[in-house]
Order: sequence, then C-alpha cells, then structure tokens
Amino acid sequence: MKTIVIDPVTRIEGHSKITISLNEEGKVDGAKIHVTQFRGFEKFCEGRMYSEMPALTARTCGICPVSHVIASTKAIDEILALTPPQAGINIRKIINLAQILQSHTLNFFHLSSPDFIYGFDAPKEDRNIFKMMQTHPQMARDGINLRAFGQKIIEELGGKRIHPTGVVPGGAAHKIELSQKEVILAQIPDMLKIAQGALEFFKTNLHKFQKEIDSFAAFPSLFMALTNKDKTLEHYEGTLCFMDSEGNIIKDAIEPGDYKEFIGEAVEEDSYLKSPYYKPLGYPQGMYRVGPLARLNIASTCGTPLADEELKKFKALNGGKPVLNSFYYHYARLIEIIYTIEKIEELLNDEETISENVKATSSVSKTKGVGCSEAPRGTLFHEYHVTKDGVITEVNLIIATGNNNLAMNAGVKQAALAFVDSENITDGALNRVEAVIRCFDPCLSCSTHALGILSSKIEIVDHNKKIVKVIDRS
Amino acid sequence: MRVIVGYGNELRGEDAFGVDVIKKLEKFHLKNTKLISAFQLTPEIVLELLEADEIIFIDACNNEKNHYALACSLSVQSRFNLSHHISPKTIVSMLENLYEKHPNFFIYSMMTDSFDNIKNENIYKMRIEQIVQHISSAQ
Repeated sequence: MKTIVIDPVTRIEGHSKITISLNEEGKVDGAKIHVTQFRGFEKFCEGRMYSEMPALTARTCGICPVSHVIASTKAIDEILALTPPQAGINIRKIINLAQILQSHTLNFFHLSSPDFIYGFDAPKEDRNIFKMMQTHPQMARDGINLRAFGQKIIEELGGKRIHPTGVVPGGAAHKIELSQKEVILAQIPDMLKIAQGALEFFKTNLHKFQKEIDSFAAFPSLFMALTNKDKTLEHYEGTLCFMDSEGNIIKDAIEPGDYKEFIGEAVEEDSYLKSPYYKPLGYPQGMYRVGPLARLNIASTCGTPLADEELKKFKALNGGKPVLNSFYYHYARLIEIIYTIEKIEELLNDEETISENVKATSSVSKTKGVGCSEAPRGTLFHEYHVTKDGVITEVNLIIATGNNNLAMNAGVKQAALAFVDSENITDGALNRVEAVIRCFDPCLSCSTHALGILSSKIEIVDHNKKIVKVIDRS
Repeated sequence: MRVIVGYGNELRGEDAFGVDVIKKLEKFHLKNTKLISAFQLTPEIVLELLEADEIIFIDACNNEKNHYALACSLSVQSRFNLSHHISPKTIVSMLENLYEKHPNFFIYSMMTDSFDNIKNENIYKMRIEQIVQHISSAQ
C-alpha cells in the first residue's frame, strides 16, 4: 500500500497533516487528517485556582480566545452560583460576536478567497493573498477593515485584542461608555456594506465550483448547536440541539451541563485531536458537524433582517432540508458575518447594555461547573471540578474544531476519492483535499508562535514505508 | 513618523523579547515615534502603520546555535506566510500593495531557543538594553 502525505496542511490555523492511502492497484482507498500538536491544557490546569481559568484557558488560542473566556466564565458562574446582570451578559455577547466576525473574516478574505478568485487549479504561486492584493486590492482592504472593526470592539470592551481580560466571572469588568458605543455604531453601515459585498461576490462565483460543492465533505450527518426555544440563531445562551440530515430534531433542549450523556469522546492513536460523537448512535456512526453550517441548519431564523433575508436563500439550497455540503460553510460564515454586525448594533442600542451594573460576585457554592458557548467554529465546552476552596481538580474541554473531527476525516476521504489520481498527482487535486479542511476553518492552535521551519512537502510511501516520491509544496 | 512594533508571547519565556523592549522604550518618550506592543502580527495592524516612514519590528527568533545574538535581518524572519498570524514582510507587502506606502523597515531579532523561561536573566536584560540604546540614540 502507498501513502500520500500532505504535511503541513496550508492556510489553516495550527499544524496538521493529511495521509492518503492507495491500494495495491494505486487507487485511493482512504484518507485521514492528523493533528500533530499536543497542548495538555486539561492536565496542567489541575491544581490551579478557579479564578485563573479564564486567563489560562484563553491561551488555548490566539484567534478565538474570547470563546474560551466566555465558556470558562460561564463554567465559573455556575460554580459560584452567579447570575450576571443583563448588561454584563450583553457585553459578553457583543465581545463574542465581534470575535466571530473577525475570525470568519480572516477565513474568507485572507485564507479561502484565493481559491474562489483564481480557482483550485491555479498555480500555487498565484493562489494566495499576495496575488489577491495585486488583482483584488479593494477586497483585501475590505478584509482588513472588517477584521479591524471586530478586533477594535474586543479591545475596547475586553481590554485587549488578544486574550481580553474584560470578561470575568459574574459578568464584565467594565461598563460600556457612551463614547465607545457611538464609535462602534458609526461604523456599522460601512461594515454591513463590506459584508454584503463579500456575500454577493461568493454567490456570483458559486456556479464555478459545482464539483467541489458535491465532493467537499458533502454527505449526511448530524448537526449540533446551541439554540433557543424558538430556534433563533444563538451563540451565547440556550440549550443544545441535535438535528439529523433530514431536518428532524432527534434531541432537543439538552442542558449544557448534561453534555456527557449525549457526547462521547473517542481518541485515535494517530491524532491529538479528540473525536467527539453523538453517544446514542455510537462511534463513529454518531458523527456530527458544528459551526456556521450546523447553526444555520438548526436555526429557523437569525432574528435580524438582512441575515434573515439571506437565511431564506441559504435554506432553499436543499429545498428547506439541512444543507449537507461542507463547501457551504463559507456561505454560512458570510451570513453569520452580516448577522454579527446587525446583532452588535441591536445589543448596543439596548438600554440595559450601558448600565453601570455589569458584574455580580459570590464565592464557591458548587464543586462542578459547565460552560458552553458557540465559538466561530462551533460549540465549545469547558467543564471544571473544584474543591470547596476553589482548587481545580479536573478539567474537560471539547474544543469547537474537535466536534468536526469525524466529519473532516470523512470529508478528506471523499475529496481524495473524487480528485486524486495516483498516476498523475496534481497540485490542484492536493489543494482541493486541503480546501475541504479549510471549509471547516479548523483552529488547531495559535496561542503560541510556531517553532522551527515548517516543511512543505508531500511524501508518497509504499507498503514498506519507503518514500517513493517527494513533492515539494513550499 | 517612526513606528516600532514589538511582538511576542509574554508567557513563553524569551519570546517576550519584543514586548519587553517596547515596555522599556515607553519610558523614553521618544519624539515622532509610535510604539506598538502585540501578541502576534495580524493583518489589521497595517491600519496603525499607514503614517509610518520607518517601521522597526522587534521579535525573538528561533535559533539554537547563537543564543542571545542580536541581528538586524530581513531574511531570517521574512518568510511570507499566512495562517492566523503573519510575518513582518507580509505586513510590509500589504502596505505597499494595498495602500501605496513604502516605509523603510527593519527587523531586530534576538536569537533564542528558550520559549519556556528566561534562561539567563542578566544577558536577556542586557540585550533589551542594547536594542533600547540603539533605537533611542538613533532619534
């Protein structure tokens, strides 16, 4: 058996590689993604004080630290039996939405759009942001402005752009000043215009990618997301919902604290990324997807006018049934960008938001807390156990990207079967296999600088593990 | 205007070199100079560099052989990359291609392989002092 290795996977966050196995006839018969970074947060947090957890776990990531801070503070709220005041909740929501906005923006404008502009078969020296800056400079500037908007909100309300300290147990550290509110609101029209323009660009070009739409992780699976009782799009509150590929709700109103009854965590020998699955269906049949695609499949409305208009069109893609093609993660991400801008405006205009009362205080009341929120890439869980003095004894984290692990693996296999010909391995085919993963926008970790020089090559290995071919992709 | 960007992770030992240099420089109140401290370089930082005639990036550079050596090099860390953080050269390329800005730029690096702790505090502080002296005397 031969194996093709794509190492590292490019234009994603973190370190991973893909192996594609060929059978004795040289045909693709399997593919896997391996996450090659080890972090160990769950273990080294043991013995720390509960109050350190938001700052510690935020370091899991440099791109979505807000999600970790939100889930962490919600877990601690539970341990302290705290209900944050409405202003504190609204501030947390705004910061979370701003983070989703800037993260989705980075994926679309800077990581994925080169594929949409130049096509998956374009020479790799052209398929990057540098070429895009030359041919589509306004689009590149739009991406920078939209990201700056999200980052500025996080900095203003959270104290810092990366690893903010303004979200604390019990609510928020500071109230929103009127001047801060006005500065943010003044930018909303321009930001909406950019977001709508990006969505229009994407929809206009969709017809070029039918084969990719049909073979980039396009298959039935379950979907999971946080949702409200009325199935409005939600990123902060609510309960967990599982939907099947036909649109049937198979389990609803799961309290986040009960997640272990429904989510199992499998471990594969060749990857540091957990493989969560829906327990009642077992492993690996219980594969589910999370993130923008899942959230929009489960939501019946966004609750904001412009996003709702687009949601209707999105739902029409599969006749009202859940959209099963992971290529449409990009579509869902763009709708969520519009939603986050509208929702930030709505929350800022809520009079409660600028209240002085932003934080509640208490001491340890319970020895277990579970915090759950929707991160850019999907549902995030933080579970802490503490002594009565507040010392952490056990931690379990399910990172949003991990929920998609089984689906990403199934997706790379599907794309490899569709595009990789072992007799003629083209860069376009390998780019497509990588691009399946970029649909999910995995965030494997960016809390640290990468160490060392990354290799950028594909190895073809025969059944004796002998390298028979090396393709340099640097 | 001169803009000095020090970046790194303060929880990762000597990776904090750039950030620590900025902390020290803040005490000098340098004229016509803007100081930026960052965890990592991200695309939107270009908006803070539009008025710059000269940009100095200060970072720790992974190097196992020449620990604590100082370098001013465009090649060592100028790899074009794009993940969720980007390289100084990408930032400069953005300024040139998107905003028609052509500042002079330099990268001052301290070589290190110690990203868990500060191995030799005296030498580490001395290197900070040397960079600070160099920058402040070049006013």
